[in-house]
Amino acid sequence: MRNNLRLLKALTWVVGGGFLLILPFLIPTRMHVAIIALYYAILASSWALLAGYGGQFSFAHMAFAGLGAYTAGLVGKFFRLTTAPTHVCHEWSLGGWWLVVQDTGSPTCLETAKASMPAGTVIMQFPSWLDITLGILVGGLFGLLIGALVLRLRRTYLALFTIAFAEILRTAINAERDITGGPGGLKVAPLFPDGITLFGHHFSAADKWPPYLVMLILFLGIMALMYWLAGSRFGLFIRSIREDEEAAGSLGVHVVRYKILLFTVTAMFAAAAGGVYAHFVRVIAPNMMVIKEMSVVISMAVIGGMESLLGAAIGAILIEFALEQLRNDITIGSFTLHMTDWRLVVFGALLMITLRFWGNGLIYPIIQRITRRGVAEETVAKRLQAAAANPEEPST
Amino acid sequence: MNFPSYFWYTVLWLIFWGAVGALVTPRVYTRKDKFTYQTAMLGAFVGAALGPVGLILLWWFTPPASLKWLGLSGLLILVWLAAAFAKADPDNLCVTSGSFIATQITNGLVIGAIYGLMALGLTLIFSILGIVSFAHGEFYMLGGMVTYYATEVWFPDLNPLVGVLIAALFTFALGAVFELLFLRPMITGQIERPGEYAILVTFGLAFFLQYTTLSLVGASPKKASRFFDYPRVKIPAETGDLLKITPGNLTFFDLISIPTARFTALMIALVLLFALLYFLYRTWTGKALRAVSQDRQAAAVTGINPKRMNTLAFALGGMLAGISGAALVQVFSWVPWVGIPASSRSFVIIVLGGMGSLPGAFIGGLILGVVEALGAGCVPDPHRAAAYLPAYGMIILVLVLLLKPTGLFGREL
Repeated sequence: MRNNLRLLKALTWVVGGGFLLILPFLIPTRMHVAIIALYYAILASSWALLAGYGGQFSFAHMAFAGLGAYTAGLVGKFFRLTTAPTHVCHEWSLGGWWLVVQDTGSPTCLETAKASMPAGTVIMQFPSWLDITLGILVGGLFGLLIGALVLRLRRTYLALFTIAFAEILRTAINAERDITGGPGGLKVAPLFPDGITLFGHHFSAADKWPPYLVMLILFLGIMALMYWLAGSRFGLFIRSIREDEEAAGSLGVHVVRYKILLFTVTAMFAAAAGGVYAHFVRVIAPNMMVIKEMSVVISMAVIGGMESLLGAAIGAILIEFALEQLRNDITIGSFTLHMTDWRLVVFGALLMITLRFWGNGLIYPIIQRITRRGVAEETVAKRLQAAAANPEEPST
Repeated sequence: MNFPSYFWYTVLWLIFWGAVGALVTPRVYTRKDKFTYQTAMLGAFVGAALGPVGLILLWWFTPPASLKWLGLSGLLILVWLAAAFAKADPDNLCVTSGSFIATQITNGLVIGAIYGLMALGLTLIFSILGIVSFAHGEFYMLGGMVTYYATEVWFPDLNPLVGVLIAALFTFALGAVFELLFLRPMITGQIERPGEYAILVTFGLAFFLQYTTLSLVGASPKKASRFFDYPRVKIPAETGDLLKITPGNLTFFDLISIPTARFTALMIALVLLFALLYFLYRTWTGKALRAVSQDRQAAAVTGINPKRMNTLAFALGGMLAGISGAALVQVFSWVPWVGIPASSRSFVIIVLGGMGSLPGAFIGGLILGVVEALGAGCVPDPHRAAAYLPAYGMIILVLVLLLKPTGLFGREL
């Protein structure tokens, strides 16, 4: 019987992943939305792990995504690998290659040095996977720091502290326009600058299929990782910390270690999503870290179901598509409703009402119902079997 | 940055020894079997003020963490910072012109009084309902918007004070309705995990109010004209050495100048502050509110309805924010997201002053006002100074949360 449940779970994964894989064929004109939806799904479900499972109400999740995105962008802007030294920039020798850090001047030191470098010198950017990895590491590092700093803070204090962190980070990125480009944004190279050949078909750099696949793999990987985490001792421990920190500690849960670990891991997930997002949208601005974005992610998680990773992810995908659908203005007679703004009003109201009346979200109960039905059938089958085995026992 | 690097080295030096002091001092006190209360903060202050020498002396003598040592070392830190700043940037207006500093500080105090009033609302809500309203800044924004529309668009000849009154009534009613619909179920036990619910639902309200306002009025900045034009007066009559009044500006002692719009706002805030104090300390309802904040059960036993007090507190808190917004709509230009920095300011203030402490909120407001004004006036690059404005308060918040989470006047946990 347990095998049946496992099969059902595996089947769900295959069907879900398969559906997401063929989704672009169904809506070829909306691939952009699909990629952004997956980006939000990663953020919402990792926030659900942090807040719904662990009870840590952090508002810095978008800041971690921003850290991932900006690390990827800044590495692409300032770091180069060359085959000859420049003698002008800061540089380190890496066995035949030189790691060159450009300055903010115009022209940059590398451009000035180019003239004097020997012919045939190769100057290349970091590959995308490497700067995304660096972004994940930076995100994890900050998650570790924040996690260690907020150990003593609960609920409201934690929320205030993380808002403060997110705002300081955003302000700093906004203000240091020499380095980050400020509110105007930072240009990021595409995910595969020279295009990529997959299954015998060449995709150009602007093609949306490769970023979709990368985001999808990232999403499925993170979901699998999170389900594994949530089902392991780690998940049990963080849930016990959510319910009662002192009681969990007294029963032998290493509260400090698990809280920090939770922050680090979810920050890394967010940073990974941010890194891929940066390479996909190509221009990132501090606007991706404003409170509004955080509200959107929280609403997605709450409406989907904060205590369910899958619920939060489905909520995020559905809501992102709904938000895009609702962009068209509605005209009633001479009166035009500008839906670009009003859709967010509807969304805010929906968030409050969901919280008030359906604390488990709108999608999680449906998931529960579907999975429960399997359980119910199983129970019925078991009882029938038992009844067949000993016919004298009264069946209920 | 063209700012000499030794200023930053000074700052790093302060931070490093402060951190060392904060981490090591409580352990030293524990080993010596001394009372460790607030020694992390004392260690941080002494470490930053006197470096390794001070720390060794501190660990040698281990005095109790009294206000005397905290205050002295705190002052010394400020002196170091000011000295390093003056040396790094000798031509800065903040170093050369006393009048400029006096003006900045006075303006900071004036704005700070209004921030303080707004934070009073938030701390009132916290002390009665035990929650922090993340939508507090949106009440502030709505107060300003309603005043602007009432006095400039709907009824152009309306007395501005009536506009402020309308804003007050509107935000009061909004707060009451929200409390009844969404926060009342918390205390009647219909909500699992009320603490988390309160954070999320007020956050949702903030989002809802911002976008409703944006949809209704658009994103273009709005600015109300000055509520009152002042007559031209000079005291003494010939030179105006003591006080000079023009329609747009007040100048005291030829030294400190305040825009009259800010002065009007200050007057509104002060009147309101005294009305609030009168209400809280002299009327039955106000006393009942304070009683509920001290002990719910005991208050209920004496015949106070705590549920009604919850509604009243939330509505009153929203109204205070609304009036602050109404008073400042003539000073700043108003957009639908003007409430976000205002919210974060109120958080900083109530954490700085101590959650639930009324005098703490007001004094915290004054401190934050001065810090922001000095920060905006003194940071050399004006573009950066403006951009980093929201960060000054956040740095205070982070420091307070790390060193003394109960704030200046908070009840001990």
